[in-house]
Amino acid sequence: MREQERQLRALFVDLRTRESRREELSPYVTRVFLGGRGIGAWVMGSCPTVHPLDPDAPLVFSTGLLTGSRVPSSSRMVVSAFSPLTGTVCSASVGGRLGLSMRRSGIDLIRVAGRAEGPVVLVIDDGRVGFEQGDIPADEPLSGVFGRLEGAGWSAAAVGRAAFQGCRYASVMVDGAFASGRGGLGLVMASKNLRALRVRGTGTAKAVDPEGEEKARTDILRLFDASPAIMGASGLRHFGTSALVDLMASRRMMPTANFRRTYFPGYRSFCASAIREQEAPKRYACPGCPIACKGKGRAGIPEFETLSHFGALNENADLGAIIEANRICNEAGFDTITAASTIACLAEIRGVRYAGRELVDKVREIASLTGDGPLLQLGSAELARRMGRPELSMSVKALEMPAYDPRGAYGMALAYGTSTRGACHLRAYPVSHEILRKPVATDRFSFSGKARIIKISEDLNAVIDSLGACKFAFFGASLEEYAKGFSSVTGIEADTQDLLSFGNTISSLERHINSLRGFRREHDLLPERFFTEPGSSGAGIEVPPIDRKAFEEALDRYYRIRGCSPDGTFPQDKAREIQSCMSR
Amino acid sequence: MHEQVARYLGKLQRHGLIEGPGDAALYGLDDEILTNAGRVPGTMRELFALLNINSLIIARPGPLFRYVIGHLCLREPGLICPRDCESLTFIHDIPVVESLDPRRTAQALNRRKGCIVGGELVVTTGTVSLEQAFISLSSILFATFVKFFADALNGLHGYGEPVPRGMLDALPGLLARAEPRSSAEPLPERAPEGEDEILRAMDQAGKAVVNARLVDSFFGNISYRDGGAVYISQTGSSLDELPGYIDRVPLDGSSTCGITSSSELTAHVKTYELTGDNAILHGHPRFSVIMSMFGHPLPFGDRRSIGGVPVVSGEVGAGARGLVHTLPEAMREFHGAIVSGHGAFASCTGSFREAFTRLMDMETLCYRTCCALVREKLG
Repeated sequence: MREQERQLRALFVDLRTRESRREELSPYVTRVFLGGRGIGAWVMGSCPTVHPLDPDAPLVFSTGLLTGSRVPSSSRMVVSAFSPLTGTVCSASVGGRLGLSMRRSGIDLIRVAGRAEGPVVLVIDDGRVGFEQGDIPADEPLSGVFGRLEGAGWSAAAVGRAAFQGCRYASVMVDGAFASGRGGLGLVMASKNLRALRVRGTGTAKAVDPEGEEKARTDILRLFDASPAIMGASGLRHFGTSALVDLMASRRMMPTANFRRTYFPGYRSFCASAIREQEAPKRYACPGCPIACKGKGRAGIPEFETLSHFGALNENADLGAIIEANRICNEAGFDTITAASTIACLAEIRGVRYAGRELVDKVREIASLTGDGPLLQLGSAELARRMGRPELSMSVKALEMPAYDPRGAYGMALAYGTSTRGACHLRAYPVSHEILRKPVATDRFSFSGKARIIKISEDLNAVIDSLGACKFAFFGASLEEYAKGFSSVTGIEADTQDLLSFGNTISSLERHINSLRGFRREHDLLPERFFTEPGSSGAGIEVPPIDRKAFEEALDRYYRIRGCSPDGTFPQDKAREIQSCMSR
Repeated sequence: MHEQVARYLGKLQRHGLIEGPGDAALYGLDDEILTNAGRVPGTMRELFALLNINSLIIARPGPLFRYVIGHLCLREPGLICPRDCESLTFIHDIPVVESLDPRRTAQALNRRKGCIVGGELVVTTGTVSLEQAFISLSSILFATFVKFFADALNGLHGYGEPVPRGMLDALPGLLARAEPRSSAEPLPERAPEGEDEILRAMDQAGKAVVNARLVDSFFGNISYRDGGAVYISQTGSSLDELPGYIDRVPLDGSSTCGITSSSELTAHVKTYELTGDNAILHGHPRFSVIMSMFGHPLPFGDRRSIGGVPVVSGEVGAGARGLVHTLPEAMREFHGAIVSGHGAFASCTGSFREAFTRLMDMETLCYRTCCALVREKLG
């Protein structure tokens, strides 16, 4: 270890006793788990079978080792816990200023356990820890809550009324506009009676090698400029993620009518140009990010997933209704993807369509727990099971699929299955090569080579999520440049291979934890629909059902490459090896 | 994977990067390693075990490239630092290792996408497909070729470090072997009409540019304006395999399908606005790039010319120092321009024929100018 190497600084908080203690984590743990998602997995690994809502179950807020540096697009943080929606280990990366504030207050990781007697706000002011009464009305919209918590250098994370009402996919909102959305982490936070976390930090974060940091920054920015997906005329810099709407429609992989079809003719009503015309959004960014993918018009502009799912998935061509549905989700604090998918599932079961005003009403019912709200707040898997149609939940491990139909991208199909938090597009992010041609294009209708690609990509994205970096940055730059930045900032010598091996440790640990919680091969499969029903062919693109045999063979190959047994768990010796990584 | 191996071996030969099929071993790994090399040697298994990759190419490039690489390795042992813009952006620098020792080679490949081994082999990797390894290989050969001649020329004329005698002695002979191809298949004179014809014309023009060695397949881009839309090659597409990889981008901003288009889309659009042309070809002809790097570095915003062809500075894409701010204005006058350390652009109206001829002429001009500059000093 170099003398100046960075070590992660942790804060352990017990809400029951309101006690806290600080600890510098060992160089080994810092180096291998990196912060963010990695350190979250490390914490979850210490109590792998605890119930998500057990008072002793951990909730972790963690920054990455790059957070606060000059390396571009790396100020994100991660919230981790066990998911009350899926039962898996779960973490969600989130933008905003909170990560930077934590870093500047000298804390990289906050591990919260216990349950407070009444609602509290955990306050960290330049490293000093305190508690405030969380006597904010439970039904107060989150914009109001953040109005109370922020200002004068403060940053905050908070949960809304959905969490206190027991919504299984309640999110943790950060700085008002950013969601740690998937898996119900907000419900875990509410179960601890933790209303909010407020942080203010005024310290500075200096790189060990500022010259190397600057060189990495220059190289990365040059690659951003050269990337059409990032800085191009149709890229994220100009349109945010809504830029993907036209593309997904043209590729015939836009999930429509609860995944019964893959093309929605009404997509033009919520595409990027429609949004620009009707909302004239202003773009804004997380700290230190030149991409500025977030947009705000009269209200917050929904992300691509939200546009597509409140749009095509529910056969709704009303942009106003989509924006309003998104606003309600953010004000009450629940995940837009699961909400939209659960409504689409209910619509299919009932043989109806909820669009326009009716769609907004359904979202409002979730927020207010009225009408179908109690049913809808369970998520689609439990809703469909209770209604006797479990096959109509378009989910894996009970997490609803995002807006990329797996019949249109086979790497994505495999990645939905193998993701450790359920059907998630971000764990391996094959959109990058199957759709956006970065770093190079792959054949989206083939499983050839995909098992290894997905394994490597999972490890890569585990690193990205752990460093505090943004996945969009990797539409231009690569780990090669970020590894240089990492070593310069932290003083930890690590090349691409070292980082990928840490990513392998993190991904494998998550899978191992899930297997200790009972997850097996059958939980890595896709809903039957994708193997039996074709998508919407057209414009020269055939979208057949996925060949089940080819999918299962790819899954077998993935298991072999990951070092798993055919049932998706790790053999004993491998499991011991993973376990030993926790404490070595 | 077998198909990929055969495809890229064929491309290595067709593009003149290797002499024969025995000069490159391509390896692809999903759950087992596949190769054209018959069996997988132990060193390769060890190398794969040390790297998180799914593809690897070891190539012994053609004699001209080998000579160039050998000399650069002597001049810059350990690390070769290219100066051309494309290489600076995408490959940064090229590590050099002495032998194909798996640990040392892996160390180099953990830093960069490719390395040079033993002064004559090029080893590159990919984490997604063999295409990545192929592109890196092609990039390294382009970067070393350009660096060798640009350094030699600048050294000879006092703009850079003096060049060793051996390198100078070899220069005339090397230049003679590097002469651009002169015969190119003629492109149709008639302007294409309707989408099908436009796509066919782009396919033809893309193949012509690659066959004439005006670009190394995956670099460069090509577009055609038709009324209110521009048809443009997708980012990272291979110019000799364009069908299915062309985006139609409406100019009224009504669609964001251009998110997968070439990074130079904005520069093309602006060029159309200023020139009134409707066809653009962009390649990386080697001597155009070499000559654009002759002399003192060109400050951003400045311009010079090579035999009347404007040379401007500018980086890839639409950033603050992007070529979008310099190229279109230069194109207005000459309908052709070279971006320093990057590549050449040519535009025209009607079919691609005139733009293609102009691109060829620019490269021939640069080659001859380069030869003249060498003769001026060496006689």
